[in-house]
Amino acid sequence: MNVRHVRLLVWKEFVQLRRDPMLLRVVMIMPFVYLIMFGYVVAADVTHLPTAIVDLDHSVTSRQIDSAFSSTAYFDVKARPDTEAALQTLLDRGDVQVAIVIPDGTQAALDTGQVAGIGIVVDGADSQSSSVGTSYAMQIIADLNQARAADLGAGALPGVDARVRVEYNQTLASVNTMIPGLLASVLMVTLMVVLSQAVVKERESGTLEQMFTTPVSRGEYLVGKLLPYGLLACAQSAITAFVGTWWFGVPFTGSVWIVCLGLLLFMLTTIGLGLLVSLVSRTRQQAQQTIMFVMLPMFILSGFIFPIESMPAPIQPFTKLIPLTHAVVILRASFVKGSGLADLAEPFLYLVGFAIVIFGAAIIAVRRRLSE
Amino acid sequence: MSEAAMGQSVVRIRDVTKRYGTFAAVDGITFDVARGEVFGFLGPNGSGKTTTIRMLTGSIAPTAGTISVLGNDAVRHPDRIRTRIGYMSQKFSLFEDMTVAENLRFYGGIHNLGKDVFAERRDYILDMAGLRGRESTLTRDLSTGWRQRLALGVATIHQPELLFLDEPTSGVDPVARRQFWDLLYEMSGAGVTLFVTTHYMEEATNCTRLAFMYRGKVIADGSPRELREAHAGGGPLPSLEDVFVELVG
Repeated sequence: MNVRHVRLLVWKEFVQLRRDPMLLRVVMIMPFVYLIMFGYVVAADVTHLPTAIVDLDHSVTSRQIDSAFSSTAYFDVKARPDTEAALQTLLDRGDVQVAIVIPDGTQAALDTGQVAGIGIVVDGADSQSSSVGTSYAMQIIADLNQARAADLGAGALPGVDARVRVEYNQTLASVNTMIPGLLASVLMVTLMVVLSQAVVKERESGTLEQMFTTPVSRGEYLVGKLLPYGLLACAQSAITAFVGTWWFGVPFTGSVWIVCLGLLLFMLTTIGLGLLVSLVSRTRQQAQQTIMFVMLPMFILSGFIFPIESMPAPIQPFTKLIPLTHAVVILRASFVKGSGLADLAEPFLYLVGFAIVIFGAAIIAVRRRLSE
Repeated sequence: MSEAAMGQSVVRIRDVTKRYGTFAAVDGITFDVARGEVFGFLGPNGSGKTTTIRMLTGSIAPTAGTISVLGNDAVRHPDRIRTRIGYMSQKFSLFEDMTVAENLRFYGGIHNLGKDVFAERRDYILDMAGLRGRESTLTRDLSTGWRQRLALGVATIHQPELLFLDEPTSGVDPVARRQFWDLLYEMSGAGVTLFVTTHYMEEATNCTRLAFMYRGKVIADGSPRELREAHAGGGPLPSLEDVFVELVG
């Protein structure tokens, strides 16, 4: 390996990068766009659910329930219809997504020591909002029951007791789970897109052919190619991590070394995939299409956006085959839980395995393909 | 070929075959190129010319046979010949998003040219290609003729003894093509051996020796005059084009 050659190749790559201001801009702006998308839009917690309260009881308890729903940001009480019948149109038109129905006789039932039934109606059209809305409502009712029990000093009073316990991330702020995963996602998009283009471009223009008639070796060429983009990806990750912790206030309780090691291993797998796509593609357009085709399932199956637990059981084992899955686990655990290397042994082993297999295969394939 | 010329062979190909799967792109070819020759390598598209050149430059390895370039085994020691050969393809292979000066700097550095030698070669190439004052122009903004001459300069920045040119004049207007051949003659006069593939018959007549390649095989080999005489059949000398058509038909 000739250091002067590698230095020249890296210099060349940066000159070309500078001439492609669009690419450089995209790479540098991408973290911010993704941070806004995933920090504000996707990670937005479900709040201000439009709600209707039908109070048919007009009692102390019903008024307590009403004020409990009115005073939280999760629900936005929009209407108080007099009849259940009026509720239907509100739900049909989508004016409200949640409705609380307090039937006549609620107070009377409670006073005589019976269980009082309260109806929670949700609009199932938006599954996420409705499931979240249901659990919020259950929680509010449970709180009320508890307060009442405390007031009366009695132990076993009838009522719903829906207890929701949240470990870590007590505020349930999704931004704390989104942004650590974003670190790996941004890196993956950049490296795969850029590297899938890199070798194809030089093959198309014939400069690759030219270069290999000169004293440049294949190894020097690869190092000269990967180094600049690896550095670029590191800069990008640093931006994402900095903005995530500083602006979005994502806690960082883990070890920087674990994050760097995880990202490095993950980087090797994405570089490998990018290079492999570059090899099987004849043109740049083809490379781009292939990348899109490969990346979408990876995103969906990684658990970065959709929780793996809620995927159908037969699908779940496949999520383990996606490197991003393990990177997301490592990053989330490092940021929010402060997990150590021992806790993360499994995802790390997976990543080491993928790095060896994918990156190794890519290097072998590139070397062979370049001399065909 | 005379004994003396044999000793002067810069390229020596023996029974070389290159297969891609079951397809033989090059099928058992044997020939020599002597030092100082302007060797024309002719043949229709897909006849195996480019594959042969790529084996000669050590970019790809043959499936069978031996290749010696400048006295070195091109298969086992491609690194030993790369400092002494030049290669220019029909694509001109310049970095289009880099300037004239940057392209020169890159290739100068790749060939490990020292500072003084590089400065000298850079000036020479800029004059030769008529690119003085355009050092900071992106090569994609240059006209085809200029790009072609710069590509020649880049390919010869390290003053190779043997220069491979793969259809170096395709897509270039006749005037620029003429100028380009003048440059090639100048190099030939300075002792550089030229190995040129071409489609243009008038360029073939510029060569001191020709080899016709067809479907992976060399089907004729000799000086333009020898080839024409061999196909005269007692009548007047046919043109090279006639010989070519007869061979391929």
